[in-house]
Amino acid sequence: MPPFRRILVANRGEIALRVIRTAQEMGIETVAVYSEADRGALYVRRATMAVCLGGSKPSESYLDIGKVVAAATSTGCDALHPGYGFLSENEDLAEACKQAGVEFLGPPPHAITVMGDKVEARKAAQKAGVPLVPGLQEDVSAERLVAAAREVGYPVMLKAASGGGGKGIRIVREEKQLVEAFELARAEAQSSFGDDRIYLEKFVTRPRHVEIQVMADKHGNVVHYGERECSVQRRHQKLVEESPCVALTPELREQMGQAACDLARSVGYVGAGTVEFLWSEGRFYFMEMNTRLQVEHPVTEMRYGVDLVREQIRVGAGEKVSPPPEPRGHAIEVRVNAEDPATFFPSLGKLTRINLPGGPGVRLDSAMYRGMEVTPFYDSMLAKLVVHGADREQAIARCIRALRELRIVGVATSLPTALAALRSPEFAGGDYDTSVLERIDRKPTAATAELAALAAAAARFLLAERAGAASAAPAGKGGRDDTPRWAASVRGQRQWRTAP
Amino acid sequence: MKYVTKLDGVEREFEFVREGGKLLARSAGREQLLDLALVGDGATFSLLVDGRSYDVVADVDREKVFVQVLGQRFVVGVEDERERAAHAVAGNKAGGKQELRASMPGIVIDVKVAPGDEIEEGRTLVVLEAMKMQNPLAAEAKGKVVRVLCNKGEAVAAGALLVELE
Repeated sequence: MPPFRRILVANRGEIALRVIRTAQEMGIETVAVYSEADRGALYVRRATMAVCLGGSKPSESYLDIGKVVAAATSTGCDALHPGYGFLSENEDLAEACKQAGVEFLGPPPHAITVMGDKVEARKAAQKAGVPLVPGLQEDVSAERLVAAAREVGYPVMLKAASGGGGKGIRIVREEKQLVEAFELARAEAQSSFGDDRIYLEKFVTRPRHVEIQVMADKHGNVVHYGERECSVQRRHQKLVEESPCVALTPELREQMGQAACDLARSVGYVGAGTVEFLWSEGRFYFMEMNTRLQVEHPVTEMRYGVDLVREQIRVGAGEKVSPPPEPRGHAIEVRVNAEDPATFFPSLGKLTRINLPGGPGVRLDSAMYRGMEVTPFYDSMLAKLVVHGADREQAIARCIRALRELRIVGVATSLPTALAALRSPEFAGGDYDTSVLERIDRKPTAATAELAALAAAAARFLLAERAGAASAAPAGKGGRDDTPRWAASVRGQRQWRTAP
Repeated sequence: MKYVTKLDGVEREFEFVREGGKLLARSAGREQLLDLALVGDGATFSLLVDGRSYDVVADVDREKVFVQVLGQRFVVGVEDERERAAHAVAGNKAGGKQELRASMPGIVIDVKVAPGDEIEEGRTLVVLEAMKMQNPLAAEAKGKVVRVLCNKGEAVAAGALLVELE
């Protein structure tokens, strides 16, 4: 007997398809929800049933709790999977599901609320004995700041309590600058955020982003599936993730895993969750907990041979967590976004051609298809390429090989950026941190550019020759029509877009 | 037939001569033997360069060719001899016109230039917001702003003419 009869998938794109795939394997029916823009989407076609939520703006469809829950009840669903993004970390959806008698495949509302608030999450971590970046958060005054900075050591950071996304942060390197910087930071925070609360944190040098995957059941059992390293980022967004993290010792890994489990247990957590840490100089510090499945969860699945969505469904139905299998080898994920590789700006258009990679150890999670339009309404991620190898070296080589096989025509993608990262000596050497992408050379080599130029010219020659125009007399003679005849035959198929 | 390619500001000249089933490519005093086969969909090619095999997508849009090879993506300008000669004549007459068009539908967040401004290559002319991101649109070459056809706060369609330069 399957644990549920029918699951509503409250999401879109690749993650909706990801959930549908596991549900199908478990003999559970699925209901897809979609906006008008997603009528033809792959996940809609693969689900058992589909319900239109409304307009293409997320607020009119995927973010409307009332519509989502109504779709679940009207189709007789007994569970709801929120995916990631959209409403996945919204305690009101979890609560509404509870009221409607639909099992929310995620943590209870209280756990979402606590972890969703920076200050509350920090307090919970402190209570659970999880290390925090040392600093001063409460009753901040000039005198107390000076004392706190002496204790944690310079450099220190002054952060605005209402800041975020890198805004409202000042780095102070010496004590004599501290008080003045504090006054300036306060004035700035007041004018920028309307809130002059400032706190102090030790400046963490060369941080790495290392996170622990946990799974908890309703019987108080919490297990972890080791770590994922996600330091290859651009604009604070992850691009390449791997497991294991080369910087961790077995002892540190166990300490981090235990800390993550303790934190989850302390808030009565249920389901899949990720505790994010900063790693620096052999120590780790709590950043935040994401109370949902992560984009990069397949990295863990490849390394542990586990299906995390299946585990989510099982524990949601009241079953106990299974002990994690022994991890083996090395896994790497690359996010393929529709974006300009030089500027990282989104690239819109129609996918006119797609070649998918294959071969040993390769997994592609994607909902793209030939002819799909990349629209401005949603996230620009097209696919996640995940590889597994016997060790890190093999995994990197395999990932590069598969990235070269994966070909998407119609929009620019992050593939060249990922390739450059994987090929860089810094990444290959393993001693990298969250700013690695800013340092590596992302320009193609002169030899590759030369080859591209040769291929472009040769392609034009061949097409012209085929159209019978290549045998034309040299320039200047003959007074031919300005438009080469072959142009008509190729014009109809062009769907490329240049990125801005 | 001779072709001139332009990629990241670098011009290269290629001359192709048929040698039976193969192509002799001459460039910068070097000769390479090519075997180029069009595969299936009209833009995928199997390219053998002196026996080395490359899987290439080359989508030809008149004088622009969009190339994907070795995991990289390029936009290569390609002119044949006749086009080059024609452009040289046209260039002398008209002085060269440049147009900035919206690459995607969006909202004009900022207009950084006014008619009469002398601008350098790469200078941001207009900032367009699309997909919740601000995209600076830059001049492709140096020139002078003739007309500005958009206003701050205005929604524009993909392909809309925003700025005209000469």
